[in-house]
Amino acid sequence: MNSLIKSYGKGLTALFVGLTVVWIAALIVLPQISMVDRAFTYEDRGGAAATLSLEIDRAYQEVFQISTSLDDLRAEKEALSSGGSAASQQESVSALDPFATPAPTPSQGVNMLDPFAAPSASGSSNRTAAQIEADEAPLIAKKSELEAKIVTLEAKEKASTDTVGLDTSYSLKNFTEMSSVHLQVFLSTMIYALCVTVMAFALCYPVAYAVATATSKNKIAILMLGLLIPYAINELLRIFAWVMILEKNGVLNAVLDMFGIIDLQVGEGFRFVASNGAVFTVMVYAYVLFMVFPIYNTIDTLDKNQIEAAKDLGASTFRIHWRVVLPHAKPGIAVGAIMTFMLSAGSIAVPEIVGRGLHPDWFSQVIYRRFFEADSWNQGAAYSLTLLLACVVFILFNMAVFRVGIRDIAK
Amino acid sequence: MRGNDVILENLSMRFGDFVAVQPTDLKINAGEFFSILGPSGCGKTTILRMISGFLSPSQGRVIIGDKDMSGIRANARPTALIFQNLALFPLMSVRDNIAFGLEARGIGKKARQDKAQELLSLVALDGHGDKLPTALSGGQRQRVAIARALAVEPSVLLLDEPLSALDLKLRQHMRAELKELQRKTGVTFIYITHDQGEALTMSDRVAVMNKGVVEQVANSDEIYANPATPFVASFVGEQNVFKGKVVAKENGYAILETPLGKMLGQNTQGLNQGDDAILFVRPERLSLQEKPGQQNSLSATLERRDLEGPFVNLHMRAGEHPIAIHITNVDQTHQSLGTEQKLWFAAQDAVVMRPGELASE
Repeated sequence: MNSLIKSYGKGLTALFVGLTVVWIAALIVLPQISMVDRAFTYEDRGGAAATLSLEIDRAYQEVFQISTSLDDLRAEKEALSSGGSAASQQESVSALDPFATPAPTPSQGVNMLDPFAAPSASGSSNRTAAQIEADEAPLIAKKSELEAKIVTLEAKEKASTDTVGLDTSYSLKNFTEMSSVHLQVFLSTMIYALCVTVMAFALCYPVAYAVATATSKNKIAILMLGLLIPYAINELLRIFAWVMILEKNGVLNAVLDMFGIIDLQVGEGFRFVASNGAVFTVMVYAYVLFMVFPIYNTIDTLDKNQIEAAKDLGASTFRIHWRVVLPHAKPGIAVGAIMTFMLSAGSIAVPEIVGRGLHPDWFSQVIYRRFFEADSWNQGAAYSLTLLLACVVFILFNMAVFRVGIRDIAK
Repeated sequence: MRGNDVILENLSMRFGDFVAVQPTDLKINAGEFFSILGPSGCGKTTILRMISGFLSPSQGRVIIGDKDMSGIRANARPTALIFQNLALFPLMSVRDNIAFGLEARGIGKKARQDKAQELLSLVALDGHGDKLPTALSGGQRQRVAIARALAVEPSVLLLDEPLSALDLKLRQHMRAELKELQRKTGVTFIYITHDQGEALTMSDRVAVMNKGVVEQVANSDEIYANPATPFVASFVGEQNVFKGKVVAKENGYAILETPLGKMLGQNTQGLNQGDDAILFVRPERLSLQEKPGQQNSLSATLERRDLEGPFVNLHMRAGEHPIAIHITNVDQTHQSLGTEQKLWFAAQDAVVMRPGELASE
């Protein structure tokens, strides 16, 4: 802090600190707290209170439907009294029917909410007007019945508990009630992400080593460009590029066709997309950079004389890597593995676009559906938290395995 | 452990247009402490890397103990290299560092540990085996590097300026240790250095290199007393340099006409009358004496006096020509600054040579 004040002055330092605090509080801590709160809040959708409130909701909905039907009938009546044609009345009545039919439900009540309901009771001498009156009467009766029911139900709800709506309480149920399908998806996602991480490492280590030990400046520049250029392109575009390749009518099948291995003409061709292999390939490609650079950075700091010394002492290539290069690159590997694992475990674009719902679900897709399709935010939050915890566990596990501390990772 | 001889046959190395090592023939004897001395960029490290197998020569070959090394990779050669920065493995214990070469050869753990222990004793590091290299002092790390190299029982040990990172006291101490180790083990040592002190004190023989060419191979005394070229003369030790023209020669001596008057020195290269020539005389061969009527008498003004401890450096000037004199600390006379003094040197202490490249200061 003192050094900050020394180099930037009090004003700027206060600004830095202020912005940092705002950032941490508003963008990290508060959303997390809200998520954790949701995750541990259980909404009882099957309890007595819930049934009660559902019933009340339903009654209100019916009352609303009945009053709209009544409004329509009244409008029709007014049209009649001002001398409208019979044909048009006939039409509007039949148009009314579909609205009217769902209305008759077991419960009935008085509509206190509709100010137009009372004046509509006054009759008209017209034949069609009489018909309308006949339609109106049971509706009005039902409505008042419903309204009476709402009053009793609300009184009952008030008596039984003070909470309104669903019965919510803090509990672990959002976690413990994860269905076996979801749990399986979660576990397989962890394994898939691990596979992606391992594959990314297998691909990146030789590349990073080659770049880090390249002696010619030009070679390094070319290798770096080759690594960076694909990442100037949007992630979604990179994924779609792969879809173009792996599609049944895509590049890969076309190439196979060219070599006469398959015949696209007669409908042969492999369905590369929507397979584990495709999702893994695209994901490795999408996140490879996050593995390459940490490893490259650590190998780059290795004293190349150590490699020569090991060679000079008679070590095989494998032993040089196993005993000299890999131990040195451990912090980089740990960082790369953590980043790749977290990105792939949380990836939604790749399994969604490449997987097409035919590939086994990724856990992030389940979370998405919990939030926006099942409308169960609390369960979604619990699932997200589970994923987050799994990632944290992975980080700690990684640090233990590679015996690196936070300090090494920060380097 | 037994040393092997190393023969360089017409060995040369070029990188593109740049010739790092001109075709060189050299025989290094088994069990010898051999130094290659030269300024940085002279090609000495390139030669070392060709012997160790990290570089394949553009031409010629390396023979170690009657075996042609062409096509044999670094990890299969009977050599071990000690790097300038030592290149110890920082994440392994000292013991594992020393045993690494044995591990690479698939030797069992017990045998490795025994051998490592033996070497730890050899380099006087008993009790430091479980430490990491970073926990050791510079001199101790040095010894670990030597032990690690010796563990694989090389017949030739290649040392690439390993003492350059140490401070003066330690460096002098390590010289004696290295020499002693070499004597004890009998391994051929090829020692690369730009420090003439190291080369002269430790070596049985020294090769002086400049610009990819080996200019002289001889023992230390010979190199110092009878340099073969102006470069060797000026690179090894200090010299007073007088340029002039040969005006007469007699009985192996030549008389030079220089801006400071006529000078007489040994005509080892057989120069003839009228040839341009350089006369070298070492600072310690000059004396503050007046020998009236004798040749090689000069008069110069004392400008600066530097006490080195056992001896004193006097920086004098004869006209525009700087002259350096070393006198021992016991006979300090006539040393007041600014006074003109008479100097003299004996003809047999001066060497006359054909002009050639001098080592830049």
